[in-house]
Amino acid sequence: MEYVNPNLAAASAEDEAELVVEDLVEDVSIDGMCGVY
Amino acid sequence: MPVHEAAAWRLSDSVALRPERFGALAYDFHTRKLSFLKTPTLVDVVRRLGESTTVGDALSGAGVDERERAAYLQALGTLADGGLIEERSP
Amino acid sequence: MTLAPTRLIDQFERGLDAPICLTWELTYACNLACVHCLSSSGRRDPDELTTAECKALIDEFERMQVFYVNIGGGEPTVRPDFWELLDYAVAHHVGVKFATNGFRITPERAASLAATDYVDVQVSLDGATAEVNDVVRGEGTYDAALRAMANLRDAGMKDFKMSVVCTRHNIGQLDEFKAIADHYGAQLRLTRLRPSGRGADVWEDLHPLPEQQRALYDWLMAHGDQVLTGDSFFHLAAYGEPLPGLNLCGAGRVVCLVDPVGDVYACPFAIHDRFLAGNVRDLGGFDTVWKHAPLFQELRSPQTGGACTSCSAYDACRGGCMAAKFFTGLPLDGPDPECVKGNAADALAGDRTRPGGSRDHSHNGTVRNAPVPVTLLRRRPSAMCDENPLA
Repeated sequence: MEYVNPNLAAASAEDEAELVVEDLVEDVSIDGMCGVY
Repeated sequence: MPVHEAAAWRLSDSVALRPERFGALAYDFHTRKLSFLKTPTLVDVVRRLGESTTVGDALSGAGVDERERAAYLQALGTLADGGLIEERSP
Repeated sequence: MTLAPTRLIDQFERGLDAPICLTWELTYACNLACVHCLSSSGRRDPDELTTAECKALIDEFERMQVFYVNIGGGEPTVRPDFWELLDYAVAHHVGVKFATNGFRITPERAASLAATDYVDVQVSLDGATAEVNDVVRGEGTYDAALRAMANLRDAGMKDFKMSVVCTRHNIGQLDEFKAIADHYGAQLRLTRLRPSGRGADVWEDLHPLPEQQRALYDWLMAHGDQVLTGDSFFHLAAYGEPLPGLNLCGAGRVVCLVDPVGDVYACPFAIHDRFLAGNVRDLGGFDTVWKHAPLFQELRSPQTGGACTSCSAYDACRGGCMAAKFFTGLPLDGPDPECVKGNAADALAGDRTRPGGSRDHSHNGTVRNAPVPVTLLRRRPSAMCDENPLA
């Protein structure tokens, strides 16, 4: 199965110079990052 | 949740705002969610909310020009949806 | 003015001026002797940070605006000053989540925890039945964990965590784990077994088999945001879609470990001189170690994939877990020992030297709640039995 990097897909969407408004806020779960219990 | 320029808002009590090179990290102690504010200007807007009469004043005070207002209001809407900012009486 | 698109993950990889959160192992003392203990705990170290030193460290965390600390050990509640330190941290704007085996979470303690803001509790459980759990964690530990969770629920504590280390013997119990967590109003957390600490000795026997990793991945994808993983399975992103989370190794970049004697390591799964950045008792304290330790500068610089860069999955899995590679004697710039594409198979079968631990605080005498003898591992775990609280 071909792997599609979701981050690259998002970047190409942002390149379209239309009414895409870059979100100035990004939410993330603090449990979603390795290195703590 | 739409944030209107004429309304009055403020940072929620349970939120810690930590400046970074790239903007700021906002951690909500109640929801345990971390939000990334991507520009120093947005951080400035959020900081000014509590003391500004209206959202519009906070935006102007932080130097947000007309063309960018929509983006900043959208960002405030995202913060409002997450409960990081809350409406207050004017 | 153009709005430059930036992603949080890119900022994180370069490291921040202060950790977002960190793991703080408060003591090496523990009433148990779990076979896979990542910190090889059991006996207190004579040189552990004093109460005053702990408070000074909390003051530093406050100044640096560390959002919260994950307190563990050993078993943190066996330290007499634990409850005092917990209150001190909260009073100083540092949130606390602590990991516990539950033995000391009495109804009274549970009530006091439920009434305290900014505190979260994480109860450890590694089997949905005592039969599976107690082999790994010790006799009576299943009962103690469930009792603790009942006390927390009855005291009105919502959304505390039930944390499970996934092993060959409990991968078949994922639905049951979810049911147990739901029963107590807890959130299920599944994490990866690393060959760290005593885990190195049991890793060959306990780590999930390849087909089990696939089953785990499918189950996690199906349960999405309801189940936490601490991002410990980002190496599974190579199967296809990444799991929810940042899929990033935060070690030395946004998180780290402070151990009971004040040593600062890149992560709790990497307690070894190779990953030792400094000590909080050094001049300049924790802040200086975090900002200036050469080890951390190295981790915050752009990482090359080494042998993994030519793999189509590298963007997703980023070469997996550095601690897992290190403790299985694999090169850090090669595949993870559990690489889902099987790229580590040759290296694992070939010559390698396991580095062993630098610190061992394991019990050397009898332990009251010792792991149940290993012969039970020969039998497959049964399905729901009388010991299941939901039966």
